[in-house]
Amino acid sequence: MTKLIYLGCLSSSKYKETCENAIKIINFLDDEFKTLENPPCCGALSYHLASDEELKNHVTSVNNWFKEQEVTELVTICAGCYNYLSHYYKEFIPDFNIKVQHLLQLMAQPENLQKLSLKHEGKKIIVNYHDACHLKNADIPIFEEPRKILSSIEGVELKEMENRRELSICCGAGGGVYSIFKENSDYNALAIFKQGKGKALITACPFCYTALRRIQENKDNKVRKPVIKFEDFIVKLMEGVDPIN
Amino acid sequence: MSEKGQDLFEKVKEKVDRLKEDTLEKQFVDFWRMACNAKQRSCDITLQYGDSTYEFIDKYKEQLTHMREDFAQNIDAYVETCIKRLEQKKFKVYYAKTNEEAHEIFMKELGDNKTIYKSKSNEAKDLGLIELMKENNIEIKETDLGDVLIQLFDYKLPSYQVGPGIHFKVEDIVAKIKEKHGVELEPNAAAIVQYFRNTYRKELLNDVKVSLTSANAIAAEDGCIALLENEGNISIITRATEKHIVAVGITKLVPTVFDALLVTKMVERTNNADLAYISLIYGPSGTSDVQGLAVKGMYGAKEVVVILVDDWRTKAIKDNLFYKAIVNCISCKTCNFVCTASRAFGNVYASKYGLGALAIIKDYIHNGIEAAVEDGLFLCTGCENCSNWCPAGVNLAEIMKQLKKEATEKALCPPSLKEYKDKIFRDKNPFK
Repeated sequence: MTKLIYLGCLSSSKYKETCENAIKIINFLDDEFKTLENPPCCGALSYHLASDEELKNHVTSVNNWFKEQEVTELVTICAGCYNYLSHYYKEFIPDFNIKVQHLLQLMAQPENLQKLSLKHEGKKIIVNYHDACHLKNADIPIFEEPRKILSSIEGVELKEMENRRELSICCGAGGGVYSIFKENSDYNALAIFKQGKGKALITACPFCYTALRRIQENKDNKVRKPVIKFEDFIVKLMEGVDPIN
Repeated sequence: MSEKGQDLFEKVKEKVDRLKEDTLEKQFVDFWRMACNAKQRSCDITLQYGDSTYEFIDKYKEQLTHMREDFAQNIDAYVETCIKRLEQKKFKVYYAKTNEEAHEIFMKELGDNKTIYKSKSNEAKDLGLIELMKENNIEIKETDLGDVLIQLFDYKLPSYQVGPGIHFKVEDIVAKIKEKHGVELEPNAAAIVQYFRNTYRKELLNDVKVSLTSANAIAAEDGCIALLENEGNISIITRATEKHIVAVGITKLVPTVFDALLVTKMVERTNNADLAYISLIYGPSGTSDVQGLAVKGMYGAKEVVVILVDDWRTKAIKDNLFYKAIVNCISCKTCNFVCTASRAFGNVYASKYGLGALAIIKDYIHNGIEAAVEDGLFLCTGCENCSNWCPAGVNLAEIMKQLKKEATEKALCPPSLKEYKDKIFRDKNPFK
């Protein structure tokens, strides 16, 4: 029986520190969870391009890998993996019975929130949270969990943005469009930054994080608000470090 | 990646690049972004109603979705009932299996008339009537001010179906009127409106012989055409005319006049518009005031011709085609202003049928997958806002996904996406 930490290919390829932070949180809450060598990509990026047959083959091969590793439960830090694993795997493999959770769901459990008892010393920080499409459109949407977590933190206040929950807007990184036309993101990701008056913008999706960070780093956009990946924010609080600087 | 795929990708890239310069596309997208934000923002406020637009959608979505699904399942019965009832109501009714058949009927009904006065009618584009009239040198006189402006500017690019011409600036409109009509106007909206009211209204009241509209809905059991509008142009040209032609796809059929009202109300609310008129037309005008003898053609239309067109619709349902859900669409265009790609790309992400995903799917239905790719199919991020918002429960995002799959299978997908796909299946990691 393996409880797997499934980081997702984007995070593990590009955001090593975020991955380490995620592992810290997950193991703090449940030390039975572990990572494995070379996990295969869930296939989310091909779901709108490949034929059903190709997808079924891929999904089956990933599921076989899960079986070989005796995975019974997994927690992912990627919104895309969460959406895809909890929706399409069941569609292609009727007896797919691995319990799939996003890190937000794990953290938001009352006993885990209590265990974390997060707080920020010093001046109260106002943050905004961006709802990723993948979390919004999943079979079991994730809206409440990040809000529960953020509002449980002493010294942190969540200020809702205009486009939130079901009405959130896409950062422009979905569907692989980011790799061909960044112009979508140029407009939409910037629009997301402009919405809330927080000191930081928090997202739980590595695709959104990538798109938003590119906008933030471009000085011409004059975006002073940093975008922070959820787990990075949390770990800094756990370590008593200022989470936005 | 085929040569064709590369070629289409370059074409889309070229169009997208036009947004970086001072082009017509750029002018459009600048306005469109503002309009989308304003539209979505006003969905959240209650306006003069007691509820927000989402609450209104939530309240009636199930009823509307059920109504549309019932139509899809019983399409033949709806058409049969509708034709019978309309004929009883003294409409002249045609049923055209294809757009081509509809064209023949339309030209026959037009007779010797060389001018037609038209309401906005997006259906006319879908049915190919605009192209038909152009080929036959029929003068199309638009009556919706937005379309009047489109004609004034000779604007060829796609525009917002509900408010075409809304992106033209006041000073540009005034300059254009001076150039075309030699009249100098104060540069404000009221002066422009007054100008058309003073000049064009007389013509609409006196000179219309044949008018063309679509319908927001046709109540099959009641034999009634429902038309929603704000300007009064539809009211005028459907009354002050000899012949009113209603050309629509059969997807406009609903069971009763109450359902027709729900459709019009939903279109109004989802557009956050507060419109002045809903016309319910039950037939040509008439009187029995002379000795109780029924005579058609009193002050209103003498003849109302309804052309119901099937074309792709029944086939989509009966052959279970992946885009069959489009049959349930009520043409409210909500999917446009909540669309991330539409906001970013404006009328670059569009087809000759209008803006956004719906217009791209229509282009696919009529002109095939290459047309859809050229319209910017792969600019869609799959955010599913269109599906989440649709008041009739149409899963537009799923149809777009299927289109992308078909395009990829036919080697028309952009090169880097193809690379991602290959890496996932081959290396089990797209970022390696």
